[in-house]
Amino acid sequence: MKQIAIAAAALAALLSASGARAQESVKIGLLQSFSGITSLSGQQTDGAVKLFMKQNGDTAGGKKIEFVRRDTTGPNPEVARRLVQEVVTREKVQLLIGPDFTPNTLAAAPILMEAKVPSFVNGAATTGIIGEKSSYSSRTFFATPQLCRPLAEYAVKNNWKRVFVAVADFAPGHDCEKYFVEALAAASGVLAGQLRVPLSNPEFSGYMQRIRDAKPDALFIFMPLGELSIGILRAVSDSGLKGSGIKIMGTGDITDETYLDAVGDAAIGTITSGIYSTRHESELNKKFVREYTELNGPSPRIGWTAVSIYDAMRLAYDGLNAQAGGKFDPDKFVSFVHGRSFESPRGPVTIDKGNGDITQNVYIRRTDKVDGVLQNVEIETFKDVGFK
Amino acid sequence: MAAVLTVLFNGIAYGFLLFIMSVGLSVSLGMMNFVNLAQASFSMLGGYAMVAATQRFGVPFLASLPIAFLAAAAASVLIERLVLRHFYDTDDLTQVLLTLGLVFMSIAAVTYFWGGSYQRFDLPAWLTGQQDVLGLTLETYRIFLVLTGALLAALLIFGLERTRFGAMVRACVDNQRVAGACGLNTQLIFAGAFAIGGGLAGLGGALAANLLGLDPNFPLRYLVYILIIVSVGGMGTISGTLAAGLALGTADVMGKYYFPQFGGVAIYAATVAVMLWRPHGLMGRRA
Repeated sequence: MKQIAIAAAALAALLSASGARAQESVKIGLLQSFSGITSLSGQQTDGAVKLFMKQNGDTAGGKKIEFVRRDTTGPNPEVARRLVQEVVTREKVQLLIGPDFTPNTLAAAPILMEAKVPSFVNGAATTGIIGEKSSYSSRTFFATPQLCRPLAEYAVKNNWKRVFVAVADFAPGHDCEKYFVEALAAASGVLAGQLRVPLSNPEFSGYMQRIRDAKPDALFIFMPLGELSIGILRAVSDSGLKGSGIKIMGTGDITDETYLDAVGDAAIGTITSGIYSTRHESELNKKFVREYTELNGPSPRIGWTAVSIYDAMRLAYDGLNAQAGGKFDPDKFVSFVHGRSFESPRGPVTIDKGNGDITQNVYIRRTDKVDGVLQNVEIETFKDVGFK
Repeated sequence: MAAVLTVLFNGIAYGFLLFIMSVGLSVSLGMMNFVNLAQASFSMLGGYAMVAATQRFGVPFLASLPIAFLAAAAASVLIERLVLRHFYDTDDLTQVLLTLGLVFMSIAAVTYFWGGSYQRFDLPAWLTGQQDVLGLTLETYRIFLVLTGALLAALLIFGLERTRFGAMVRACVDNQRVAGACGLNTQLIFAGAFAIGGGLAGLGGALAANLLGLDPNFPLRYLVYILIIVSVGGMGTISGTLAAGLALGTADVMGKYYFPQFGGVAIYAATVAVMLWRPHGLMGRRA
């Protein structure tokens, strides 16, 4: 018993010593999916952090940056809650990047509020998850309406008046469907028909025939990242729907660069709305793409997760630099970040002063082969699209 | 009318795809009485072998299919010799847990060697697009699937269920000691049966990759469908697997066409109905 008490005392001394040393450093929690079906976003997270550290060094505001990296394994709110609890109470992180996915973000919010840990939301696009109930959070990703509304306007402007809407049958899909149908009605377009595709769906041909029967001018698609996006684009091409003159549109998920090559030529001509393309024309983006690829290799390709994490790092460093010398103050940090505008590789970005959500340009892109590689080429810009 | 016939054809083609995916498990279950969920991993392996052969070494698509078969067959013999043969006498639950563990290991292994991304490959031009057949516009790849699936079914039904080799395997499974005493090399026969089951799974993966996509999570994503087809068809009958594939494939596509609001529920509803009606599957024998 005595030995245990001595050991415990020694351990406590050790812990408090390391706690004292931690004064000169800032710990950033990194909660993303590093394994499982969604591990590609984790790979991009590592790649973006590595690149940012290489470009900007490992200190900000005179403090050394340390990372506490944890794997959320996907949309698992109970895992996310446990991990947030752990990094906040045990590891004492001062900042948090993540967790990804809407359910995880919601599970984390109360803990972050109580512990006053500013966080950067990435990989969660649901409207309204940033704001009152998580006033220490900022979003560097995008909000669903940002991508779903502009395409309705674009379609009607191009005289594709009758639009068929196909979404994945889960909450984000229902959200996107609602925003798109609203925007379509507002632009006086016509809803030619709609359907919801189950999340586990290897077979699209019945849906394709249904869409063909409705004779729309255009088809709008919202699918989550992954095999559903690949499957529906291939089905649209194989079934001859694309060849019949129906325009194929969707949010940027369906032609995400991380698997665009796997979709293959079936993707050519698809019109998508996105926040980031590696082909975005700006000096900053060219440098970003070049240095990212040099550091992390060409595969997997850069998707929007990489940019979202990179921007979170930018804000974290700027916020820390702004309070250089002093003790870390989370409230000062949040009031610095909220309301901030800066140039991102994706274009100009503003973190909302009121609630920390994001306002940014949304680009209409056309998928094309550029120098033998499939790319999302930006053809039109909707400037400063809000998050509501 | 043309629309209905096209949908029906697509359903049949999807049915053949389900059959091709599941027949490997059906063979190993029926002949060996061994619940090998790792068949889904052999499917994935076949897919990756096809992609590696066509993309990296420039092998034509058709020639890559036997390669996929052989690669998966070799892997399944290796696994059978190293691991599975020690578990022939155990109960179903042990076999399920063991082979499910192998599935997870295969996912990690494939991620290690090929990365987590979806694989890219391009079909030859003659397999893409549409063809006009009897006034219907049909997808070329689906026509190819129907022909390949029908050929495979014929080969298996006449070549495996009704041959001496099939009888030898059944003898070994029923009573290994007596079969051995009659002069059969039981170890070799088990390995051979496993090679055929694994090879078929590999072939299925290579043929399915175009429609289903290919990434390390392939086995977990499609294992459910494989299990549904095998249990609806009846454990281990090849004609039963074919019947189940065609029935459920058609039900799924027709359901999605006529009642899209119910999503993909048709395939599950049909499964429950069949299992209530015939608990041992369409063509299943009482075990």
